[in-house]
Amino acid sequence: MSPLKRLLADRAASIGAAIIAGLILVAILAPWIAPYPEDVTAFHLSERLQPPSGTHLFGTDRMGSDVFSRILFGARITITIALIAVGVSVAIGVPIGLIAGYYGGFPGGFLMRTSDVFLAVPQIVLAIAIAQTLGPSVENVILALSLTYWPFWARLVYAETRALKSQTFIEAALALGASDWRVMVLHILPNTASAIIVRTSIGMGATILTAAALGFLGLGAPPPTPEWGRTISEAREYLPEAWWYAAAPGLAIFLVVMGFNLLGDGLRDILDPKLRKGRR
Amino acid sequence: MRRLEIILSRLVWFIPTLFGLVFVVFFISNVIPTDPARIVAGENATEAQVQALRAEMGLDQPIFVQFGRYVADLATGDLGKSLYTQRAISEDLLHRLPATLELTTAAMIIAIGLGLPLGVISAVKRNSLIDQVVRVLSVSGLAVASFWLAMELQMFFSTRLGWTPLNGRVAGWGPDEITGFYVIDSILSGDWASLWDVLHHMLLPAITLALPAAATLVRFTRAGVLEVINSNFVLYERAMGFPPALIIWKYVLRNALISTVTQIGLIFGTLFAGAVVVEAVFDWPGLGTYAVQSILQSDTKAILGFSIIVGVVFIAVNLLVDILHTFIDPRTLK
Amino acid sequence: MKHLVPLLCSALAVMTPALAQAQDRYVHANNSAYDTLDPHTVRDVARVASRLNFYDGLYRWVDNPPQLVPWLATDHTVSDDGLTWTFNLRDDVSFHDGTNMTAQDVVYSFERLLELKRGAGSLFLPMIDPGMTKAVDTYSVAFTLKEPSAIFAALVPDILVVNSSLVQENEVDGDMGQAWMIDNVAGSGSYMLQRYDPARGFIGERFADHFAGWGDKYFDEIEFRTVLETNTRIQGLMRGDYQGLDGYLAPDQVARLREDDDVQILEEESMRVFHIAMHNGRAPLDDRNFRMAMVHAFDYDGYINEIMQGTVARNPTILPGNLWGAPDVPGYDYDIEKAQEYLDAYKAEHGDDIRPIQIGTLAGFSETEQAAALMQNGLSQLGIEVEIESSPWPVISSNMQNPETMPDMVPYWKSTYYVDPNNWVGELYASRYAPTRNVSDYHNDSVDEKLEKALVSTDQGEREQLYADATTQIYDDAAGIWIYNTKWFGPYASNVKNVRFCPVGNGQDMRWAYLDD
Repeated sequence: MSPLKRLLADRAASIGAAIIAGLILVAILAPWIAPYPEDVTAFHLSERLQPPSGTHLFGTDRMGSDVFSRILFGARITITIALIAVGVSVAIGVPIGLIAGYYGGFPGGFLMRTSDVFLAVPQIVLAIAIAQTLGPSVENVILALSLTYWPFWARLVYAETRALKSQTFIEAALALGASDWRVMVLHILPNTASAIIVRTSIGMGATILTAAALGFLGLGAPPPTPEWGRTISEAREYLPEAWWYAAAPGLAIFLVVMGFNLLGDGLRDILDPKLRKGRR
Repeated sequence: MRRLEIILSRLVWFIPTLFGLVFVVFFISNVIPTDPARIVAGENATEAQVQALRAEMGLDQPIFVQFGRYVADLATGDLGKSLYTQRAISEDLLHRLPATLELTTAAMIIAIGLGLPLGVISAVKRNSLIDQVVRVLSVSGLAVASFWLAMELQMFFSTRLGWTPLNGRVAGWGPDEITGFYVIDSILSGDWASLWDVLHHMLLPAITLALPAAATLVRFTRAGVLEVINSNFVLYERAMGFPPALIIWKYVLRNALISTVTQIGLIFGTLFAGAVVVEAVFDWPGLGTYAVQSILQSDTKAILGFSIIVGVVFIAVNLLVDILHTFIDPRTLK
Repeated sequence: MKHLVPLLCSALAVMTPALAQAQDRYVHANNSAYDTLDPHTVRDVARVASRLNFYDGLYRWVDNPPQLVPWLATDHTVSDDGLTWTFNLRDDVSFHDGTNMTAQDVVYSFERLLELKRGAGSLFLPMIDPGMTKAVDTYSVAFTLKEPSAIFAALVPDILVVNSSLVQENEVDGDMGQAWMIDNVAGSGSYMLQRYDPARGFIGERFADHFAGWGDKYFDEIEFRTVLETNTRIQGLMRGDYQGLDGYLAPDQVARLREDDDVQILEEESMRVFHIAMHNGRAPLDDRNFRMAMVHAFDYDGYINEIMQGTVARNPTILPGNLWGAPDVPGYDYDIEKAQEYLDAYKAEHGDDIRPIQIGTLAGFSETEQAAALMQNGLSQLGIEVEIESSPWPVISSNMQNPETMPDMVPYWKSTYYVDPNNWVGELYASRYAPTRNVSDYHNDSVDEKLEKALVSTDQGEREQLYADATTQIYDDAAGIWIYNTKWFGPYASNVKNVRFCPVGNGQDMRWAYLDD
């Protein structure tokens, strides 16, 4: 069976894939499917804090804007932050892991010790320090997350590369006169790909949670950006009366992170036969 | 001897890693948009007063000189003074550390108490309804934003139902402070009313914090147990007619426990990270609240100190886990 | 004997727990942390409770409208040249440890203020040099100023007197007791420090020997606790965990609390003007036509009636409408057409290109965010783009004090630190306070002349006229967007009585309040 078919055969993974596909679609189509696309910046002060109804699916917020529409637009921010931050982390982490694992020795050790430094504190602590320093904005959240998440990929690729390097096919390629770069890019990297893909899918979920926490702490995008974490912190003042205000973005975060986690689990089963046995 | 070697090699890395951490956090936090001298001087200060203060605080020195001074002070345990209170940051942090440790320990106990049995049951009764439910719950537990969960639980159990206290560690001023760990302090002083009150206050935040950690544990335990069950020696013993309960108890659980201990370091990290936001929601007077407050006040040195102390605790816990591991699983010594 | 009494008291307290229970306690939930108890290093509203309840000043602000009443001092005289201010002190004031207060304590306290340069000290430094305060005799003290000052009297309540011998005992390396004063109290105030934890708050125990005496009823113990979350403070008050909260709640919260029978909301006129400071020194805001477009592009009614739910009153200028000297002018109205006319006039002169306008807001203060969003809404109708950046108060405040980094607009409040028009119009628009307090980079020679004159004049009628004229001129220049003057909504448990509110200190001076049975 092709990997895609196997993915679709796994119920959890296909649900995950569907959620993510839905998220991406919503992010792209937000201006067209949102009932009140103008509500990202527009206010209707006389309609503040109204409960969910036919006209406002998830009610209205403190400025009288439609919560549902803002959640849909929030998907754009969430996906942008997660994609770029994880993308940059991969772009930094993978080469470092590859080089460190391949060459080993002092430079390899140095690179890995550097990544240890970043892993020495929980990610959110460093991200908080960075985001606080740079000031609240989407760009800085992305920067903070990228700077703190790359070691995960570096570690992973490092371990895989170390294991692969002593394998016969690598030694054969080297014996045939292939350059180091060629071996790394053409032989080792493809063999670490499945591990990277699995880690990336799960990493997306973790990144979204951390980004939301930064938003909640006021270190994310400034108002009136419809970022989910910041919407939750805005909503806090109006609990428990305006329960929908906080519930909607919380559930949105839950759904999306769940999607990435389910997909990651499914991918691991399919791409990593070693772990597959254990999970069934 | 091998054990000592492992421990020593870990300790050797402790200092450089810590130095690296200080280096990174120091330089990160010195790209600041704020002017600490101006903050200290206050709203009414004149430009000349600010300048004088800047010199007094050493802020007119090159950044590397400032870093050198910081590291030199750090070596003596001095993390500098808070911009606001002029109180020693190390004092502030140490004062709040017990609250956070107490909360994370409680969460850890709940997480293990919940995650371990559920993981074993889920694996043993593979593909049963229980397994399905546990798996869905564990995936959900990892997907929920802890600050949101904290808010929703607080709203439901404290505000709506009134079953749990709203916030804080204790209703009044708490038991006489001996260790700073209220549970221990109230036991030591025999203050049972306080003990009950402290536990009551701890319930909701600890559960909130424990849920994602429990979910992680369930997954690891389940995978670990399955691996053992499917391994050859268990199949062999089963063929030899050993009762299944004995096999599960004697072999499977023991091995599952080993993999759990390995995870504790990791889980501790999750708990500490979660504490930052969960504390903020429940007004828990620990390190997390301190960090959030320092952020709001742009108290850079306090944030720096917080990162360092968390790093130290974190590295220490991992060290402890590694050492523990050598006892539980002698294979690591080979 | 001295030790016997407390010993007996504590023995009694142990033996009769019911009696101890009967003591009246007041628990106040505060929105920021009491991270220091030093009365000389901070001067903000958020931490005013420790200063008011543990310490006394030479004079004191009480009631509303605020009255300046003699407190540690009985009266004062000013020399003919207006430079030397001599205060006569009460001879019956004792500190918490029983020491009698003398002029020496006042001198030490004032020199300490100047030396530390923080809190109120930085306010006095421009007026008086260190060493210019002298004890004339045991119970009178003289301050010699650099120049005559009309506002010195208004600042006298900020001279909080500490027990100099006690502080000196605890000095380390000539730090004037800074390290010690963070955690300890050396005052004469209505309450004595009983417990303090910077992470939680403090408990004060009534000081029975306070010189001002006590009424029939009072709180035996007051606790000020830090509770950062607005929602938790409100829920806690409704549950009865707390007896009072800081005022200035958002209207949504006030509405919720009003529905609760166990909660009362005290309503008082106050003096805290919410305005949007504009950078008058930077194009295009340096042009009056452009600023006139701005002041007509803010939806004042929407903000006051919807967001604030009509709980505040429109304030047309920077001076609170209930303060002397406030001119009688109509507030600018929300009129996009008028704004467009002014904008067209600006464009005719300077071209059509208008850069985006930056608005800085205070992270965690939703009213500033909502004001910025509303401004953005108005300006988008004029085709002007707005960028909003939210930062914590310390960041934005230090940015505001530098014309280079001051955002184009910042919505924030000007609170009452002393009751004199100079607190508002002087500090915000006089050149002498640029750039630290006059953050708008507003300079107008004729306004400066009036404000300077008002600072040294001793004729009240003349001062009133000068402030009214200067404020009107600033109003004509549309130097800022002035929105409302706050009302104070003090949420208390229904059985708390006799809270004496004063805009300076926000009703947190607890010596008069008591619990009604």
